[in-house]
Amino acid sequence: MQSMELPLVVFTVFSQAAIGVTVMRAVRTTADGAGAEDHGARREWGLIAGLMVFGMLGSLFHLGHPLSAPTALNHLGTAWLSREVLFAGMFTGVTVLAVLVAGITGKPALAWLGTLLGLGVIVSAGMTYAPPALPALDNGLPFAFFLTSAVILGAGFGSWFAGGGRAPLMARIFTTALVVGLVLNLAAPWIWLSGGTVMRMTGQAWLGSAFYWAHVLVLLGCLGVVWKTRTIPAWLPVLALMGELAGRAGFFADTIHTAANMGGLY
Amino acid sequence: MKKQYAFLVDTERCIGCFTCAMACRNYYHQVEGVVWRQVYPLSEEIYPHRERAFLSLACNHCENPACLNVCPVEAYTKREEDGVVVHHQEKCIGCGNCIRSCPYGAPKYNPVEKRAEKCSLCHERLDAGLNPACVQACPTDALQLIDLAEFERTNEVQYPAGYPRMEELNPSTRFVLPKTPKMVRR
Repeated sequence: MQSMELPLVVFTVFSQAAIGVTVMRAVRTTADGAGAEDHGARREWGLIAGLMVFGMLGSLFHLGHPLSAPTALNHLGTAWLSREVLFAGMFTGVTVLAVLVAGITGKPALAWLGTLLGLGVIVSAGMTYAPPALPALDNGLPFAFFLTSAVILGAGFGSWFAGGGRAPLMARIFTTALVVGLVLNLAAPWIWLSGGTVMRMTGQAWLGSAFYWAHVLVLLGCLGVVWKTRTIPAWLPVLALMGELAGRAGFFADTIHTAANMGGLY
Repeated sequence: MKKQYAFLVDTERCIGCFTCAMACRNYYHQVEGVVWRQVYPLSEEIYPHRERAFLSLACNHCENPACLNVCPVEAYTKREEDGVVVHHQEKCIGCGNCIRSCPYGAPKYNPVEKRAEKCSLCHERLDAGLNPACVQACPTDALQLIDLAEFERTNEVQYPAGYPRMEELNPSTRFVLPKTPKMVRR
C-alpha cells in the first residue's frame, strides 16, 4: 500500500478496541452468571461507543467525498468493504443504544449482539485488506492481526471496568493475546522472506520499519509489565493502543503492492 | 465466448518510445501524476540483453475484475457488448479500495477530483468505430486491439515474466514475447 493511511489506521484500531471491549464485557458479565460484578455499565458502553464513533468519524477522512459515504453500502453482493460498513454501522447503533438503555447493571444481550456484529466487522475488514494485489496479506493474516488487536485492547481497556474478581481473568486474556500478537508479528515477516518477490519485499520493508519495531517493542513491554505486576495497570491499555496504532500504520505503509514490481520477477 | 476486447502487446516490436502513454495523456489530459498507460522496462533478470524489452500496460479489462468486485459504490461496470471495464467517476467516493485491490495497478487516484480513474479502452472511440488512442498512436504496431472471441492464437501468452499471474481475474491483455537479439560478431 505504501501510504500510512492514517484515517484507516484510526478507524481499524479504534473500532477493534471498541469491539474488543464489547467482547470482554460479554465474557466478563456472563463468566460466572449473568450480570455478576457488572457495575458501571453505562460508563463502559460510553467508552465503547466513543471509541467506535471516533473511529467511524476518522474513517471519513479517508474518502475523497465523505458526504457520499452512505453509498458505500451499495455493493453488498461482492464488496467486503460494503459489508464492513454495514456491520460497523450496525455495531455503532448497538453501542449507542446500549449507552441509552444501560442502567447500573447493563444488558448482557446487547453485549452479545455487539460481539456478533463486531466479529462481522473484523471478518469483513480482514477480507477487505486481503486483496490479491498484496500477496503478503492475501490470506488470513489481516483477520488474525485485527482479532488479536481487538482482544489485546479489549482486555486492556476492559480491565478498567472489571471488578476485583474479574481482574485476573482480564490479565490472563490480555497476556495470551499479547503472546499471540507477538508470535504473529515476529513470524510473519520472516516467513514472507521465503515467499515470492513481492512477499519478500514486504518482509524486508516490515523488518526495516520503525512502525513494526515500535509495535513489537510495545507488545514486549506490555508483556513485561503484566508479568512483573500480575495485573494490568490503568495506563497500560493506553500504551497498548499506541503500539497497535504504530503497528497498523506499518501494516498500511510497508506492505508492498504487486504493481510496484511490474516488469520484474514475481 | 462473448466478445472481449483486449490489448495485444507485441514486446518484440515495442521500442519503449512511450508514444502510447503520451497519446493517452494527450487524449484525456489527466492531471499531473496520473498515468493510465505506463511502459515498464523488463528487468535484466528477465531479459538479460543490451537491447531492452518493455511491457506497455494499462487496464487489462479482466473477465472477473478485482476493481469491480471490491468497489463499495458500484462505480465499475463491465460492458456486455465488448467486455470493457468502465469506471463511472461520478459514483466514485474516492475510498481507494480499487487502487489497493487491482494487482496490475490500473486504477489511479486523481487528487484534484478526489476520485479514482483508469483506462476505459477509449470505449467512446470504440463505439465510433475507431481504435483506442494508444493503439492508433503506436508507431511500430506493437500495440493492437483484438477481440479474444475471434482471436486466432499463435505464439501469444497471457502471463509473461514481469507481469503478475492472476488466474482468478483472468486479465484480457495478451503478449508476444521478445526474442533474443541477434548478435553480430566481426
